Amino acid sequence: MTSFLSSSTFKFSLSLAILALGTGAASAAGGHQLPLYPESPFQGTPFSWISNSMIMVWMGAGLIILFCRAATKKMALVPAGFQNFAEWLVESLYDFFAGILGDHLVKRTFWFFGATFMLILTVNYLALIPGVGTIYQEDSSGHIKGLLRGGNADLNMTAAMAITFFILWIFWSFSEIGAKNFFAHIFASKGSFTGIMKVGMAIMFFLVGILEVVSIFIRPVALSFRLFGNIYGGEQTLEGLMALVPSYLAFLPALPFYFMELLVGLVQALVFTLLCAVFLKLMCDHGDEH
Amino acid sequence: MITFIAAAGTEAAEQGFLETFGVNWPFFIAQLVNFIIVLIVLKKFAFKPIQELLEQRRNRIAEGEEKLKRIEQELAESEQRSQEAIDKANADAARLITEAKESAASLSEKKAQEAVASAQTILAKAEEAAVAERKTMQTELKKEFGRLVTNTTANVTGKVLTDDDQKRINEEALASVES
Repeated sequence: MTSFLSSSTFKFSLSLAILALGTGAASAAGGHQLPLYPESPFQGTPFSWISNSMIMVWMGAGLIILFCRAATKKMALVPAGFQNFAEWLVESLYDFFAGILGDHLVKRTFWFFGATFMLILTVNYLALIPGVGTIYQEDSSGHIKGLLRGGNADLNMTAAMAITFFILWIFWSFSEIGAKNFFAHIFASKGSFTGIMKVGMAIMFFLVGILEVVSIFIRPVALSFRLFGNIYGGEQTLEGLMALVPSYLAFLPALPFYFMELLVGLVQALVFTLLCAVFLKLMCDHGDEH
Repeated sequence: MITFIAAAGTEAAEQGFLETFGVNWPFFIAQLVNFIIVLIVLKKFAFKPIQELLEQRRNRIAEGEEKLKRIEQELAESEQRSQEAIDKANADAARLITEAKESAASLSEKKAQEAVASAQTILAKAEEAAVAERKTMQTELKKEFGRLVTNTTANVTGKVLTDDDQKRINEEALASVES
């Protein structure tokens, strides 16, 4: 668990470093910095709750839903076209998560992991479309704000996903192993001890359990910031690099990083869902031992 | 980078950590609702039908494989039965041929024996007939010879021979001829 904490801290620091690198590049170039926070293009209207990143999430969700509707409209036992691709995607993801979670858990939870992976990936890739984060509008007070913003470059979105998983994680863990095993996994002494050692180890494991509780509550925070930091940092890097050269050559320094961002988009979607799956497996797997 | 972190830290201290990142209830709740809607829609309209279809296909493939195994087994059994039937037919045919050969040989032997027997009977009958004919001829010849001897004797001697003389002369003549 300590190693997990260290690992989480390291990843969090890495995310901040990427974030800082992007911001630094933009700042050094004297260009417009992508703000850390989302903004509403409808400020001052009843739709001020709609943020620029939310529009991208809707677009991503809409694309996925349209694709799924097209793929499942006329389903045939011998697949073709969209259905073929959708089946390949779903089956590959299912097998991937089944390898981590096992056959029983994956049947219960695949809808969450599959949907989350597809949404994160689509939204990450949509954020790379030219114009996202680079088209600005000026409001009546002269404040410049982006019209569109990468969906996962918004902590509200990443936190919404992480907290949804956290609630579902508690529900799945309780329903799979029961409350007793759930708390036993966190606080109970592991191994067979007698005499004074038993008492000592019980106290030790109780204290470790408290740390484990802290780590459990840090998980959604780490998940949120890791995804946000990587995506925001990537966008900031692209924007900063584009500002380094004259505008007609702006595409050039950013081009190699576009390929890297394609990879980052996939890796971050995988990392988020993979970690969620591992957290769930760690808790539910432990139940078999009790 | 250090400047940025320092600036972010100062900003966070001034505005509050969550405000620095633009986390606020309206945006958060809207994103949460978005995410939950996407989860529900994808679960209902994407994963459920696709997974059901994949399950259906897996079952069909499993059934197909099961049927294929059964067909292969039945084919093997059928081939075995056919082979057994062919072997049995071959054995029966070989047995029938052997029996036919044996029967033919037996019949041939029987017929040959019958033919030999028949030939022997015919020969015996012919011999008997020849013997009988010979006896008849001998008897007739004896009679003729006796009559000739008697007539000759009567003509030579000029006397009428009695029956006893005729009988004695015939016997003497026959005896001299036979010897």
